[in-house]
Order: sequence, then structure tokens, then C-alpha cells
Amino acid sequence: MRKDRRLHWLLLAPALILMAVMLYYPMFGTVYESFHETSFLSPDPKFAGLALYRRILADRTFTEVVTNSIVWTFGVVLLQNILGFLTALLLNQNLPMQGALRAIVLLPFILPGVVAAILWRFMYDPQLGLVNSLLLQTGLIENSVAWLADSRMAMASVIIAAVWKGFPFSMLIYLAALQNVDQSQIEAATLDGAGPARRLLDVTLPAIRDVIVVNVVLTLILTFNYFDIIWVLTRGGPQSATHIFPTKIYESGFGQFRFGEAATYGVFSILVLTVLVALYAIVQGQANRRRAAA
Amino acid sequence: MKQKRSTRVVLTLMQVLLAIIVLLPFFWMVSVSLKPPTEPFAIPARLWPDHPTVENYVSAFRPEFRTYFLNSLVVSLATVAITVTLGLLAAYSFTRAQIVAISALVGLVVLAQMFPHSAIIIPIYKMMRSADLLNTYWSLILAYVSVTLPVAIWMLRGFLLKLPAALEESAAIDGATPLRVFWDIVVPLSRPGLIATSVYVLIVTWQEFLFALSFTSTKEMRTLPVGLNDFIGQYGIRYGELMASSVMVSLPVMAVFFFLQRYFVAGITAGAVKG
Repeated sequence: MRKDRRLHWLLLAPALILMAVMLYYPMFGTVYESFHETSFLSPDPKFAGLALYRRILADRTFTEVVTNSIVWTFGVVLLQNILGFLTALLLNQNLPMQGALRAIVLLPFILPGVVAAILWRFMYDPQLGLVNSLLLQTGLIENSVAWLADSRMAMASVIIAAVWKGFPFSMLIYLAALQNVDQSQIEAATLDGAGPARRLLDVTLPAIRDVIVVNVVLTLILTFNYFDIIWVLTRGGPQSATHIFPTKIYESGFGQFRFGEAATYGVFSILVLTVLVALYAIVQGQANRRRAAA
Repeated sequence: MKQKRSTRVVLTLMQVLLAIIVLLPFFWMVSVSLKPPTEPFAIPARLWPDHPTVENYVSAFRPEFRTYFLNSLVVSLATVAITVTLGLLAAYSFTRAQIVAISALVGLVVLAQMFPHSAIIIPIYKMMRSADLLNTYWSLILAYVSVTLPVAIWMLRGFLLKLPAALEESAAIDGATPLRVFWDIVVPLSRPGLIATSVYVLIVTWQEFLFALSFTSTKEMRTLPVGLNDFIGQYGIRYGELMASSVMVSLPVMAVFFFLQRYFVAGITAGAVKG
């Protein structure tokens, strides 16, 4: 028994050491870096105390990054989960061609992120892009729109591209959940005279509630930390209209060699993400309690 | 369950709409990749190539592209091999060991999945710099193994929990050493889990962008996603070539996915649905 325990520690050790060195230690390292300042001209870190925090909090860009991150995260999470759920419902019906359609719908999910971003950048091209061509030809718009260069359109444009890429993942998980729903309950509800909407609200949704929570939290974290799509599509621009935490951190750190500033943004990003997840947990908890009380 | 005729028509129409939304960008990517160099500049954009040609594929397959491809292949395969090996060893101990601290350690693994990569990239970059690993395969392999490992452990743990421990116990009673039991019983039985996890790790590393962009500085060390992104600046207007390269970047991972799809879907959904 004792020898077994030693063997198990031995098997665990490589993974635990690697995660400690490459994930947990850097987590603390980021906090340390955020108290030290560097720049392209003076690359040696100098202790700066809370100076970086004060400077960033006073900077207008910070407010923009926080607002953008929240708009982007909520936009993508909401649309991706709704579209993913509706698609899962559709693919859970008894219709011909379901198998083929399931395989087709998964395509954007397997498409490498940078390829998806380049493809959408081309789709959004004002002159050559398919989006403008189709909208112009069908008469939905009268003049070409600069989807990514117009600060009013840029955020919506990157959100749509990200939802197209991401909804199959949510669909996959919802579909698996729907297939686990107890069919006898649905049949019983049908016999009681419940229509499709009633069955969905009273039987299906409560049955997959936990999966919805997992799915939303998962997409929330992934979306908040998503770098590829925005970086390739807009580099955070025009101005800072689509800068979110990851793009800002990359730009500060590797574009301007301000490692301290990048790390400080990193600390803030973890705080904001924690608040978002906590808020969702609280809202979800209250809803559960209300339902339990009802 | 029987559906009314009108319901079926509506549902079918919705399916067609869904297929169009998903496929249109793909269709366009392939179409443009097959257009001769001047055709993508036709306004308004046309869906079908008038004179299809593979010219773009030939010119996109330039030496740089081959270097990026090789780099991606080396880094991805090494990451898959290391992650899956370390992941299985750790997951096995997590499910079988009688160690008091196990549930706390599992908690640390779950937490690690949520760390934003951008938030920890500065210290990792500095560590790589001190160890003189920047601009080498190892900087990427180490970073990729660490970020895919928590998810891999989690997926493999799900599979191992479902394996009956009785087989292992009876083998142990018959006198097999723990390592024999692991190698002859656990490894073969966890094959579906190993495949699912490998596909997941491959999908993630094949497309990883942030670390690759930050840790590599020369053309010789670039991976495909970074190289592809560079094409935008250098050959920004040569959309045909860009789309041909995009197709070539996507095909390997799509091929793997389609052959191993059922393992992968089972692996991903098992974790999330039964959680």
C-alpha cells in the first residue's frame, strides 16, 4: 500500500510540477510584474509600487477596454448559446439528413481560429467582400459598409464572426444534453395536452439546467480570453473600438515592451473575469431559489 | 414522434438556412482559392470561379509555407504525445490513488483550465527568455503542454472513472506489478479516451496563435497560424493565395477530425454533460 502511494505520487509528479511552474507560478508572477515598470527604452524592471495601477485606472483606454470586454463577452455568449441551443433543438428532430447536417455544422468549430479570422476579414472587405456584395445585390443596403473600419460597426462585426465560429461548440454540448432528456417525461407531458412550447419550458429546459450553466460559464471564460479573431480582424481598432483585455495585453507587452503595464492589465482582466463569473453564479443561484420556492 | 406536414416543411427550411449560414463562408474560401489572380477583384464578388485553376495552391506552397507547416507539425505532434502521456499518468493516479490530498489537487487542475493565457504570458515569456528557449520549438511545446494538460487530465479522468477497477485488482492478485497492470490493462482500455484527448490537443495546438506570435521571432520558427497572419501584411491583396493557404492549413486537422469524430464528440460531451 505504501509502495503504491509512492508510485502514484511519481506518476502525478511530472504533470503537477509542469502546471505549478508554467501556470501557477506565472499567475503570481503577473502580480509581481504589475508592480514593476519596463519600456522599450529602459528594459530593466524598476519597482513602481502602485503607480501602474493608478496610471491605468486614470487612462481612458482602460474604461474602453473594460466596456468592450463586457459588450464582446455578453454579445458572443448570449448569441452563441441561443443559436447553439436552437440548432441543437433543430438537429434533435426526426428529420432526414440529420447526420450530414450535424457534420456540416461542426465545420466552423474545427476551422483554425486564424483561418476563420482571415476568412471573415475577407468577407467584410468593403469592396471585394461577400457580405457587402450580397447585401447590395439584395438591396438591403445602398452603399458599401466598412464593417471593420467603422467604429460603430466594428464590435458587432467581430461578434458575428466569433459567434459563427463558436456556436457549433455550444450546439454539440446542448445536443448531447437533449439526447439525455428522459423521453417518457416528454410523452407524459404530451398526453397531458402540453404543446411544443410548454414541453420545452416545463420539461426540457429544467432537465438540462445544469448543462446550460456549464455551457454559459465555459463560453464566458473562453470568449473573455479569446485573442485570435479580434487581433486578426481589427488589431483592437479602429482607435480602441474593439480592444479587449487580451489584445491590449499583447499590444502593451509585445508591441511596446511595457511588460509591467501588460501585467497590470492582466491582473485587471482576472478581476473582471472573476466578477463576471461570480455575477452569473449569483443570478443563477437566485433563479434556482425562486424556482425552488415556487 | 409524428409531425404535421407544415411543421416538417418549416423545419426543413430552417435546416437549409442553417446549412447556408455555415457553408457560405467555406464555399467562398474554396471558390476564391480556385480563381485565377484577377478574378477576386471582380465587383460585385462572384460566388463561382469562372475559370477554376489550382495556380494559387501551387504558388502558395512556397518554401516559407513548407517551413511553417513543418514547424506546426513538429510542435503539435510533440505536444500531443507529451500531453497525453503525462495526462494519462496523472489521471490514473487521480482516480486510483488513496491519497488524502487528491480532491484538492483535482480542484487545482480544474482551476488551471480557467487561467487566461494572456494574463500569464508576460512571466512565461520572461522565464523562456532566462532559460534561453525563446524562438525554439521547446518554448511552444512547453507552453502548449502546460495549457492543454489540465483539460486532458480532466477528459481522461472521466474515461478512467468508467473503467471497472475489478480487472486491475484481479491482475494485481495474480501477481502483476503495478506498472504491468497500467501498461497491459489500463492503457489498452483507455484507448477511446486517449484518441479523444489527442484530437482535442491537436485541434488546440494546431491553431494556437498568442504564444506562437509572442515566443517566435524568425521566419524559420513561425508556425502556420502566425505565418498565415503575416501573409495578410505581405500579400494582403493576393486573396487567392491567402485562401489557398487557408484551405491547406485547415485540411489536416479537418481530416483527422472526420476520421475520429465519434471519439472526440463523446469525449468532449461526456465531461460537460455528466460533469
